[in-house]
Amino acid sequence: MKNIEVEFTLNGKKTSLSSAPNLTLLDVLRDELGLTGVKDSCGGEGECGACTVIINGKPVNSCLVFIGQVEGLQVTTIEGITPEDGYHPIQRAFVEAGAVQCGYCTPGAILATKALLDSNPEPSDRQIREGLSGNLCRCTGYTKMLDAVHRVIDEGQDD
Amino acid sequence: MTEAFQSVGKSVIRKDAWEKATGQALYTADLSAEDLTFGAILRSPHHHARILNLDVTAARKVPGVKAVITSDDIPGEKVFGPLVQDQPSLASDVVRHLGEPVALVIASTRIAAEKARERILVSYQELEAVFDPVEAAQPDAPQLHTDGNIVSELHVGDGDITVGFQEADVVVEGTYNLPRISPGYMEPETSLAIWHEDGTITVWVSSQHPFTDQAVIAAALDMPVDQVRVKSAVIGGAFGGKEDSSLSILAALGAWKIRGAVKLVNNRRESFLAHPKRHPARIHYKLGARKDGTLTALQAEAYLDTGAYASYGPAVAMITTETMTGSYHIPHVKVDSYVVYTNSPLSGAMRGFGSPQSHFAVESTLDILAERIGLTPIEIRERNILQPGDQLYTKVVMNESALALPECLQKGREIMNEFRAAETTPGKLSGVGIALAAQSMGLGANVPDDSSHRLEWAPDGSVLIYLGAPDMGQGLAAAAEQITAEALGIPYERVYSLPLDTLETPNGNVTCASRMTYMAGNALLDASSSLIQSLLNEAGRLLDQPPDQLKYRDGMVIKPDGVEVPAVEFISRLAEESITLTAESTFSFPYPEETTPQHLPIGMPHVLYCFGAQVARVEVDPDLGTVEVTHFASIHDVGKVINRAGVEGQIEGGVATGLGYALYESMALKGDAWVDSFTEYLLPTAVDLPENYRSVILEVPEASGPYGAKGIGEIPLVPTAPAVANALYDALQVRIYDLPITPEKVMGLDK
Repeated sequence: MKNIEVEFTLNGKKTSLSSAPNLTLLDVLRDELGLTGVKDSCGGEGECGACTVIINGKPVNSCLVFIGQVEGLQVTTIEGITPEDGYHPIQRAFVEAGAVQCGYCTPGAILATKALLDSNPEPSDRQIREGLSGNLCRCTGYTKMLDAVHRVIDEGQDD
Repeated sequence: MTEAFQSVGKSVIRKDAWEKATGQALYTADLSAEDLTFGAILRSPHHHARILNLDVTAARKVPGVKAVITSDDIPGEKVFGPLVQDQPSLASDVVRHLGEPVALVIASTRIAAEKARERILVSYQELEAVFDPVEAAQPDAPQLHTDGNIVSELHVGDGDITVGFQEADVVVEGTYNLPRISPGYMEPETSLAIWHEDGTITVWVSSQHPFTDQAVIAAALDMPVDQVRVKSAVIGGAFGGKEDSSLSILAALGAWKIRGAVKLVNNRRESFLAHPKRHPARIHYKLGARKDGTLTALQAEAYLDTGAYASYGPAVAMITTETMTGSYHIPHVKVDSYVVYTNSPLSGAMRGFGSPQSHFAVESTLDILAERIGLTPIEIRERNILQPGDQLYTKVVMNESALALPECLQKGREIMNEFRAAETTPGKLSGVGIALAAQSMGLGANVPDDSSHRLEWAPDGSVLIYLGAPDMGQGLAAAAEQITAEALGIPYERVYSLPLDTLETPNGNVTCASRMTYMAGNALLDASSSLIQSLLNEAGRLLDQPPDQLKYRDGMVIKPDGVEVPAVEFISRLAEESITLTAESTFSFPYPEETTPQHLPIGMPHVLYCFGAQVARVEVDPDLGTVEVTHFASIHDVGKVINRAGVEGQIEGGVATGLGYALYESMALKGDAWVDSFTEYLLPTAVDLPENYRSVILEVPEASGPYGAKGIGEIPLVPTAPAVANALYDALQVRIYDLPITPEKVMGLDK
């Protein structure tokens, strides 16, 4: 299989790479680019949200995207929203609300929250639940995740 | 007088949360190594078959392949198992369940390994399979192992049930069917093994007990245990499913074979087929009571499907059996339970460990009985609830902490009344239900139930915990740090738990059975005292003062003249002399003398219990049969809160898993294959959780616990399903005997 050349913006930086066309964005992020904050849980079926990234403002399961499909698009991973010094307000809220247990779903859930709040800064409780419904978590029962999102909204800190 | 605590009882921020929130935390699958290779496991396509021929010649020729390994290549023990050595690392003659490992390919890339796997030729002769534990227990059923399909059985009784049922005015009975469910942790099983030139091996594994992995790897490779080093990376949840060894043996085998580094990661389908699940159970439950509601007799029979290999089945069945009377005093009891092999993927440990099954039977039957007699669910529970001093039918006596049980019920009663006042959505029917739970803590008497941990005072004055058991995500590390900080009178921020490494860490035994806060907490309290004593001894030497004239308080050494010197001054001076202050302590679960087998009818009785009550309010669509849990309250006694946010998190997460058991989850056989993906196996999502939810935490001190604390890991999911089923009955007068509660069952449309 011939490699394809792909150019896209990853965490704000122009990125070009050559890749086998049958690799997913998840494969490339984890295995080629070493961005292991993006996780695989359901085995590439788009069911769990652990591999959530933001593509052009929308939360997407990166396991369902072939690498060629991100040509020209803006991809943001958990690494991309973490400031060099400190934490993104959503990260801080998740930590302080006690929404992080095993942490395996956390990067995906934080990115889903970011995509939600970027498009709808004051969602209702129902909208928050729907916004997080693609991100499975077995530890928290979601209660403290919802608390965390409400904290962010209340503090009006999301950028 | 209330004792003032600095760390204990607070909602401290877990130290690992920051790196998890930024994606920097490294789980086993995130680790790499020089010249890393990848494994792919060939798994059985049959439920039960004889392997006639296994040909790996073509697979070995695929470019990039380093090794293709079969059972014949294993130099040491070819089978493993926590209680019964019955599970092959790689099948040799027979496969006993779909997905059983048959061969392991190691290659330079994942893709090459997967390609080579396709080239392995196996000819199978299919054998008749059995999936129902009751059928499998019959003598003419297909046999899985040489000694019959019944792995273990228990026959335990107290009093005389003939007398007990004669004394009863009302007797009800029913058969309950509980599904196979998955622990559903987000991180699938992973292991990375590195062979070293000196003939030792290092293995990272996502495991609840790396010391077990160390032992089974050594046995499989026929190596001394001290040449196998097992380490924990960050663990992405476990819930009991990572108590058994799995990939660590195969990864180590691969690394040994190629003299290199191997990573193995199960995908979700493999994980479903490979990891232990909650035992499916069929429980026949017969309960008698007098007209006033006093329970007189119980007869129960339970069949647990342990799948193709025993795993923790016999131990799970003990807890199912022990908890068959739930939270109630019943004078005449007879329970028979059987753990049976079937051709299902294995069942083993999962959060609750046998008691969600028994509690569904107890708590459902109690409501049926109450209605027959004309009592409310609260009244029948009040009449029979256990009190301190009451003896269970296993002869275990409830201690003072059982005072919490009536308190949970009382709180539950108040909340039930409150939930009843909620307005019902037009077109829906609403109902409220309650269930209680008593969940044992600890591994049980007559098995080693010890836990060792070590403290070290670092030169900068911070304190390191060599925590002997992994934090699988639930927050054990933070609780251990809070207890240590409290005992030493130093800030929580100055105490750090280290990840487990069998070379460095004492053996804390398995993280399971709601035991770790209690076990590690007690050991760390003792170690803290020893650490302080060592400090005073050394400070005395450095100050030329008798140590018994020095005192220690809150990080300061107090001299006889009252002058306080920061402990760190002594610690750093000792560091210059290459002296490190450490203290290790082992805590043994306190089992009374009377729990020896001569005194009790059950082999490894559990003597300490956690208590809780849950109240559910549901709304049911009478035309569609859909059930929505609108309100939910989870009331638990924890003895003493160590980390408040942590306790709440355990309860909230447990309830979600309990709701999954109640309403959605079942790893059933569909056609000829198991449900093995999140597409069909439905974990609760954020939209499925009740909008009106609360946790109520009670603190009835446990005398033997650290600062009075007990466990909370398991119990929050135990009463959930019966609370929901009882609420559904209250709404619609439909009694559910089989979980999960699907719309078809609600409408009576299931077959």
